[in-house]
Amino acid sequence: MARFHDLAVTDVRKTIKDAVVVSLKPVEGGDFVFTQGQYLTFRRDFDGTEVRRSYSICAGKDDGILQVGIKKVEGGAFSTWANEDLKPGDTLQAMEPMGSFFTPLDATQKRNYLGFAGGSGITPVLSILKTALKAEPRSTFTLVYANRGVSTIMFREELEDLKNLYMGRLTIIHILESDAQDIDLFTGRVDVGKCEALFAHWVDIDSIDIAYICGPEPMMLGIASSLRAHGLSDAQIKFELFASAQPGRLARKAATQDGTATAKTTQASVTLDGTARSFTMEKDQTVLEAALENAIDAPYACKAGVCSTCRCKVIEGEVEMVANHALEDYEVQQGYVLSCQSFPVSDRVVVDYDQ
Amino acid sequence: MAQDMSIERYLEQGGKLTNPTNVPPRYRAELLKMMATFVDSELAGAAGFADVINEGPGIKERIAAAKIVLEKTDNADKVLRLMGEFGANTDRYANHHPWTARLPRNAEPGTRRSDHDMRLSVLNYPLEGWADAVAMNLCMGLAVVAQLSDMQQVSYQPLADVLREVTPVETRHVELAEEGLARLTEQGQRNAILDALAYWRPRVAAIFGDVSQDRFDQLRAWGLRHRPNVVLHDAWAESLDASLNRLSLTA
Repeated sequence: MARFHDLAVTDVRKTIKDAVVVSLKPVEGGDFVFTQGQYLTFRRDFDGTEVRRSYSICAGKDDGILQVGIKKVEGGAFSTWANEDLKPGDTLQAMEPMGSFFTPLDATQKRNYLGFAGGSGITPVLSILKTALKAEPRSTFTLVYANRGVSTIMFREELEDLKNLYMGRLTIIHILESDAQDIDLFTGRVDVGKCEALFAHWVDIDSIDIAYICGPEPMMLGIASSLRAHGLSDAQIKFELFASAQPGRLARKAATQDGTATAKTTQASVTLDGTARSFTMEKDQTVLEAALENAIDAPYACKAGVCSTCRCKVIEGEVEMVANHALEDYEVQQGYVLSCQSFPVSDRVVVDYDQ
Repeated sequence: MAQDMSIERYLEQGGKLTNPTNVPPRYRAELLKMMATFVDSELAGAAGFADVINEGPGIKERIAAAKIVLEKTDNADKVLRLMGEFGANTDRYANHHPWTARLPRNAEPGTRRSDHDMRLSVLNYPLEGWADAVAMNLCMGLAVVAQLSDMQQVSYQPLADVLREVTPVETRHVELAEEGLARLTEQGQRNAILDALAYWRPRVAAIFGDVSQDRFDQLRAWGLRHRPNVVLHDAWAESLDASLNRLSLTA
């Protein structure tokens, strides 16, 4: 399913000290027509290790350009490289746009949107607000944008320009964590208390049709609970979360045992939900079957190597995966197998469903 | 904006996950199981119903049956596409199993699932004629609606969005079933319907019964489930009784 395509880098522009906006052009293949709020997943090889990262598109749907914002994360291989070494003329590889952080637009509808962005969480929200204000001439957008200080506000000038362009329809409230502002309310973190104060004085929450939230987890939870308390349903609250804990570096590869395997059975150890269980299994049995036989509630669905529900990681030993229609090369390289299709080869096999 | 929080704590507090890259491995497995169960049940349900289209007594009935087959297949497609984002091979998936396969009609009611797909146990039993199919559609349709009421709160936002689209469609299928049974009653098929209801009711009830407390607690902590099966079962039984009352089909 997942296929990568080449994209030419046409521009790399700094928006703040540690974030760049990268303009891209499809070279050949792939449908890169996107919907506002979607993201691209890139891959790049760092010293023999494939790293994949997803970044939101910051351009509006009809801007005629494909742009993503990349904020440098401490210790992040891809974001550091993009901020320090990436230049026009380079080629990046990405999958077609994905994600469902949007609601359908309709030129005839009059809606009031409310967006919350924390730090680089502005990227997809910027795409959404630009697209919505252009596509729906009667709709309004209120953006609550949280940052540490003035110097870390991404797209600050672009947002000012948009405010002038959509005078009366776009409202922007900057909340700064450490820089003092004229109004006390606009200093601090965006949490439940801050939302309450904003809804009391600055945002007519009863008029809001759809809310978008993109930022750190605790911020999103606080905002969402506030929105729910004010009567917004789950269908009206759209989240976008990019986990910071994505694996950046490849874990150690499964060690293949030395020597030739001779026994007809294998000593297997299976970890599921934090518990490791050991048992002896036949080599003509799949790892999944053996686990189920030993009363381990291992996950599976299709048993045909198609759906990837039964994915686990081989920590020690060797298995032969006879069919694989779901895992990608890089996952297999990292030691992942489909347990419904994997037969033990070595005399000892250790697998983990928790990784 | 450095506010660190584990995904598990985030989920416990009602957080939503939004794409395949930020789901933890065990969550991923349980989510895929849940999606596979939905897809397989819709595909198996549609396949079973396709065979009875021609048994519809009139053109209206056949249109209703064909519409149900079309829409259940479409609902399966919507969720299968989400599975595709996790790597599932969607083309192969649609054909990896004979969705029309069924147990013998006289097989005992139970929760056992087929070895090769994740369809709900009730969909392993064969339909027998038009009245039987319509009665099954009412019983099962109401069960699907009860389950969807819980599933559409799921913490994986793309799935929740799809299930919110799917729910009104499935609800309409129940209305079609109720209209169908009303017509069959007028045509003097009351006894056949009562027999069919007696056959299907325990088999549908069985789909609410196979989650251990530990597993449910884990699923609830991840935001994959919300209300226990017994609560969903009772909501279903109540809605079914209400429907049968409207139809004057209480035995």
